[in-house]
Amino acid sequence: MAQLRAHGIRAHLPTGFEGRIFRHNAEGPERSHAVAHFATFALPTEVGDFGGGAVTLMRDTDIFAVLFEYGPESLGTPLFAHEGIPKELSPEHFAPHVLRRGLKGQAGTQWFFTENGRPFTLYIVLGSYARRRALVSVVNRLLAQLAVEVSVQPAPAGPGWN
Amino acid sequence: MVAVCVVLGAVVALLAVLVAGLLRSHADILKALHDLGAGVGDPLDGSGHQGHAGVHGAGSRPAPVTFTMGPPLPPDRDASSAPAIAGVTPTGDALAVSPAGSSGFTLLAFLSTGCASCAGFWDAFRRPADLGLPMGARLVVVTKGPDREIPGEVAALAGPGLSVVMSSDAWTDYEVPGSPFFVLIDGDAGRRIGEGVANHFDQVAELVRRADIDATAFGAGTRADRTVAMDGPERESDNDSVLRQAGILPGDPSLYPTSLEDLYGPPDARMPLSRTGLGQAS
Repeated sequence: MAQLRAHGIRAHLPTGFEGRIFRHNAEGPERSHAVAHFATFALPTEVGDFGGGAVTLMRDTDIFAVLFEYGPESLGTPLFAHEGIPKELSPEHFAPHVLRRGLKGQAGTQWFFTENGRPFTLYIVLGSYARRRALVSVVNRLLAQLAVEVSVQPAPAGPGWN
Repeated sequence: MVAVCVVLGAVVALLAVLVAGLLRSHADILKALHDLGAGVGDPLDGSGHQGHAGVHGAGSRPAPVTFTMGPPLPPDRDASSAPAIAGVTPTGDALAVSPAGSSGFTLLAFLSTGCASCAGFWDAFRRPADLGLPMGARLVVVTKGPDREIPGEVAALAGPGLSVVMSSDAWTDYEVPGSPFFVLIDGDAGRRIGEGVANHFDQVAELVRRADIDATAFGAGTRADRTVAMDGPERESDNDSVLRQAGILPGDPSLYPTSLEDLYGPPDARMPLSRTGLGQAS
């Protein structure tokens, strides 16, 4: 089981998953925040934050997941009121209309939450809406092994980047 | 004349002493080997000159000596398995690659910043469009981890857009003997299909292209999937069909090789191989 850890995110990847945890380069006083991509297919070198350039490569049996951190200004807002990463999703949580980019046959789900004082969104795409029951169990295996640590970044000196 | 005879006599005596010393040393080595269980003679033949001088007595027999290269592999792995690679990038991000879980080919290039023969590869990877890899094949450079390599140096050598994982564990998992070293993985088959060293990336790219052509021509992935599900007469019939399509009919001499040349061609026409597949540096 491959283990990834960077920028305050830890993941033990189930067999078959690839992953990348990164931060955009910040310029000047701006701050960038963590982004994590997980996929059951070969992640291209350049992938948009929410899967641009990757979701078009998905097979029916594939999964793509994003953990995207927002700036501290989002803390305490109603959107991020939910505490903790969703760990147990069900097939009913996935729908084609949730996709940021509607691709035929695919389905997605998106959650906003706060964990350890850090606001995140979790966005997951399934390669096939029809296979969602089988794929969701794999998604839950991934989510069970995800953890967000307390941020060690210094206090923001300017506007957030993400 | 007398002086010459004296000198010759002294030389002969000196040589005799040296020979006696060598024989004594040889006898000591043989005795030590015998005591360790690696004696001379048929290990199954207790009646030969085996065991009569050893400390274990006449019944002692040589014990098998097991040689291993590198750390032992976990029980769920073998020489063709392609485990996931997890590490960090030169910029401090985390990256995990699962070559056996993805479709298509993944070429792992195990490189170092310090090896002179790696420099040409680092340079070639700065021009990905000129690499000549088949469409869909991806290249991942694997260096040792930050404990063995300086991330800044790796970052300076790696071109933009190049996937680089720094992971010492990956070098152990793939039993990499040194750099440069390449491993080709067929994601559809979920296993390593070739590995070795090369002087120039053109050599590696050519072998990847051949593997791609083979996979396309013979439908390697789909055929493997299909034959796994078949057994007995059905599988035999499928094999016959594939052979017929290739022009190999019953009675074809190629079905009855009598020598290595029949299988691999003349020695000078064989491709230089290293380990299981890729070309070898010379």
